[in-house]
Amino acid sequence: MGGMKKLLSRTLKPILLYALLVSVLSIPVYFFIIDFIWVRELDKHHFAIKRKIENRINALNLSDSTIRQTVAILNRTEPGFVLTPIELAGRDSVYSHIRFDTFMQDREQFRSLVTFIRINNRPYRLLIETNMEEIDETILAISAVSLVFFGLLLAGFIVLNRRMSLRIWQPFYVSLKKVKSFHLQQGQPISFEKTEIVEFEELNESLRKLIDGNIATYRQQKEFTENASHELQTPLAIVRSKLDVLLQNEDLTAQQGEQIELANRALARVSRINKNLLLLAKLENHQFADQERIDLSQLVTDQIELFLENVVDQKLEIRQQIQTGIEREGNRILIEMLFTNLLLNAIRHNHANGAIDIRLTANRFLVSNVGSAALHPDALFKRFSTASSKTPGSGLGLAIVQEISNRYGWEISYAFEANRHVFSLAF
Amino acid sequence: MKILIIEDERDLAVSITDYLSGEQYLCETAATYHQALDKISSYQYDCILLDLMLPGGDGIEILAELKRQNKQDGVIIISAKNSFEDKIKGLQIGADDYLTKPFHLPELAARIYSVIRRRHFGNANPILQQGLEIDVLAKTVSVNNQAVLLTRKEFDLLLYFMGNKNRVISKSALAEHLSGDLADLFDNHDFVYAHIKNLKKKLTEAGYGNFLKTIYGTGYKWEV
Repeated sequence: MGGMKKLLSRTLKPILLYALLVSVLSIPVYFFIIDFIWVRELDKHHFAIKRKIENRINALNLSDSTIRQTVAILNRTEPGFVLTPIELAGRDSVYSHIRFDTFMQDREQFRSLVTFIRINNRPYRLLIETNMEEIDETILAISAVSLVFFGLLLAGFIVLNRRMSLRIWQPFYVSLKKVKSFHLQQGQPISFEKTEIVEFEELNESLRKLIDGNIATYRQQKEFTENASHELQTPLAIVRSKLDVLLQNEDLTAQQGEQIELANRALARVSRINKNLLLLAKLENHQFADQERIDLSQLVTDQIELFLENVVDQKLEIRQQIQTGIEREGNRILIEMLFTNLLLNAIRHNHANGAIDIRLTANRFLVSNVGSAALHPDALFKRFSTASSKTPGSGLGLAIVQEISNRYGWEISYAFEANRHVFSLAF
Repeated sequence: MKILIIEDERDLAVSITDYLSGEQYLCETAATYHQALDKISSYQYDCILLDLMLPGGDGIEILAELKRQNKQDGVIIISAKNSFEDKIKGLQIGADDYLTKPFHLPELAARIYSVIRRRHFGNANPILQQGLEIDVLAKTVSVNNQAVLLTRKEFDLLLYFMGNKNRVISKSALAEHLSGDLADLFDNHDFVYAHIKNLKKKLTEAGYGNFLKTIYGTGYKWEV
């Protein structure tokens, strides 16, 4: 999850990168455009000056000597151009160059025009120069401006993105929250808020269909289990009653009697599995709603007594440490079943001559028995995962333990320590 | 003693009739809601076995009808529903007992015996049988006025046999009666044997005749 980003920051990043790219690219573009316009204007201006000088001096109709004096004075006084008499007119040329300017006492960039005019029919070379901004300074200024605008874009994007996205995506987050808090077991369909955005409405509609379908399937499955178990009770009752009647037959041999006893035992196992399945279905259906305060200390003590009472001629050593006065809120039938199953499990799977440890403290119940190898903790609490011919349980005992624990927010865990299977219930 | 079996599963009704008929009980059956209503209105029964899910109506209504007619028949609900609420509801309306399917017939017989005894004689009256006296309320047993100390399990067993005289009872049925869901705690039902052995021993030591017979390979029988 560490590498994941939120939707909002994800959309912002490429936009910002693009804005940065455009800003950077705009710097040379601006420069070339400004430079191009400037140079073109200066050149136009220079040619205009050239024509003005040529026209105005010629219009004075001065003598050659006066012209020479005037040109000399102009060269000395007028900034920006130099007239030089030459023998032969050349071709015009325009160029930019940087040189040290004595007046500005600095390096300056100039745009120059070298052209040729005729005054009194004598050719002159005319150099016109205009100071312009240096390239580096122009680029610097443009960069600075771009940077400022990029900063404005950045701030604007972040603020706008946050505001707009939050508003636009709000229905999405609302739906997400609802889907997150949805529990199939509760069977409550989600009611999504109406949104004006088509995609979200479609999303909600699809989710609604998906969830309704799931709820229906789940309900059917639960009902199936419950109905199937119910339906099985009657034929089981018939088989059992037929065996009981069959046993009354006076011609029955001992061997036949034993067969009936074996059938009876298998039948008892089927009945128990069926009963437990029914119980699980009911647990999932959230029946057993009534709550009462239950003295767990008393309950555990009673159960241990009950177990000991039922074990005649069979060694069962139980070491118990029961703290008194431990109480919890719950349904008596379920809580009893929870503890019975845990104790039963320990007794059933205990090694011969091993003691069973039972400990009840303020917020924990521990039961452990001797075992040879660690069990698979994940499979342990799944339905039918532990049933085998060696362990004639229903394969549902621990699944029921887990289900009841979940219901009360208690936590059941398993560990294999010092050759003992330890089940720990934190409540 | 007249028993009415209200049960739509014919096979089950037949089994119950087969098991109960004989020395003490006369069984009649009703397979639908209306048949059952007819019978309870016309006759008096010592005990009615009532299945709740019947073609034509709800068994609970029959119970209510019995109350309306102020009938004194004992009622045991036999239902495939094992819900606590159903049990409470049935007992509140006036059923004497509630037995969940699938049950062992000896268990049913023991319950019927108990209901009829309570209805006819009240629990204060002891069960008497050839010198044996069982006080159900005080949970004490005496042979020829000589007290016999029984454990709770042994006492339970004795009562169970009283309700199933001359019937062979399987070890499975006894195990389930004694330990309920804990019956399958161990792979064998030797604890049943242990309890029976102790009960037999105590009765014999008190000088009581050997009525409790072991049927080899099958189970046990209280023979009178």
